Amino acid sequence: MRWFLTAILLGVISPVFSQQYQTKKGEVTFLSQAALNEFEGKSSSLQGLIDLDQNLLDFYLDLNTLDTGIGLRDKHMRENYLETEEFPFAEFTGKLSAVQKPEPGKVQQVTAIGKFKLHGVERAVTVKGTLNPQANGSLLLEAKFSIVLSDYQIEIPKLVFYELAPEQQVSLKATLTPKK
Amino acid sequence: MKKLILTGLTLLVGWCSAFAQLERKLENENQPVDLIFHAPRHINLLTVEPLEKKSMHFAIMHTFGTLDGGVENLFGLDNGANIQFSFEFGLGDKLSLGAARASQDKVYSVFGRYHLLEQTQNGKMPLSLSLAGGTGIITNTYDFLPEAEQPVFGDRMTYFGQVMLARKFSNKISFQLTPMFAYFANPLPIYQIEGDQNFYLALGMSGKWKVTERSSLTLQYIPNLNSDLSSNFGIGWDVEAGGHVFQMYFVTSQALNEPYLLAGGNGVPGEEFRLGFNVNRIFALGQKKRSY
Repeated sequence: MRWFLTAILLGVISPVFSQQYQTKKGEVTFLSQAALNEFEGKSSSLQGLIDLDQNLLDFYLDLNTLDTGIGLRDKHMRENYLETEEFPFAEFTGKLSAVQKPEPGKVQQVTAIGKFKLHGVERAVTVKGTLNPQANGSLLLEAKFSIVLSDYQIEIPKLVFYELAPEQQVSLKATLTPKK
Repeated sequence: MKKLILTGLTLLVGWCSAFAQLERKLENENQPVDLIFHAPRHINLLTVEPLEKKSMHFAIMHTFGTLDGGVENLFGLDNGANIQFSFEFGLGDKLSLGAARASQDKVYSVFGRYHLLEQTQNGKMPLSLSLAGGTGIITNTYDFLPEAEQPVFGDRMTYFGQVMLARKFSNKISFQLTPMFAYFANPLPIYQIEGDQNFYLALGMSGKWKVTERSSLTLQYIPNLNSDLSSNFGIGWDVEAGGHVFQMYFVTSQALNEPYLLAGGNGVPGEEFRLGFNVNRIFALGQKKRSY
């Protein structure tokens, strides 16, 4: 019985010292390359959590923080396309491919498989990226993927078809620090 | 006892090993609502829609002759338009200054808008409140009048002030109440106004009903409060196209600036409607890529 209790206790204790990493200031950029217009939107408010014990990750972005450099365009983006009042967040929750013990300087290719939710639509996606352990113990995560707007029921009116790309290139860069 | 500990521990294990998802939190809980109206102008009235710092709003506004001439006068388009060019520059996110020129009596005006309150999405601030005011000078020449009867500088000044209270009731419906005044230093009969008072009070009302994602049915009603001039009524259609907002409307007056809207007089809605057309464009200055 005693060994059983000890085992359970170990089981309890180990997640407490689990390898969780967190960020609150990850950078996200989307690039829209349409025939007549190219523009970028940026945010530095990506929130993320990576758990290397369970190979899980959870990220979300407050879409209100995206800035395209032109106020009216931001308002149109929020009001007509992303409809942020109803759907304020873009979210990704998923599993990470097996990750080796992070060692500074050893860059690892990782794959995340999970659910991406945008504009109220949830889809299964696979995202490839790199995990770059830093000397100070933090993890630098970089990833690129594309979002087809129509997959998330974001329609592009014909009037702006040449100005807004149907497929948006998204890149993210986040430094995650060990969670205390 | 042992059972209890075991149960407790099992629960604890379950709780610990469950992956703690991040709690979704808005960066700014008091996120202001976007686009109560499509543009800083709504038919003829200014709105609470702020300009971003270092951006410029350019509006070309037209109103044509009355529709009742029929197709012979191409529904008033032959009768010449009153055209107003308006430039407004955002000095800060709350303050903007503008200048305009209307062809009717060749009025040059300067105006400012200040946004005191902004409606928030969480409802903590239920409405937006802005102030606007300005002054204009009638620069038309009246050479046909004897010299003694020609207006001097002091006779040519106009002023206006207004409070704009607006609320976006839902994604589709917005409404603005605009108590406003206008003052003519000397309301001479040669000006293209019907009123003969110096001071005018009115209550502007602007409504927007968003019909599709990018277009809205618009309404304007400006009852005069201290004169027996008939009230201004307008009905229109706003279309958003990228960085442009096109506004087409039928309105009872040719006036495009605030003093003339209140003192200018109005035709009968329906019978003496005039076609009107605004093009609104917002330029982001100080940006590498301005095009939108």
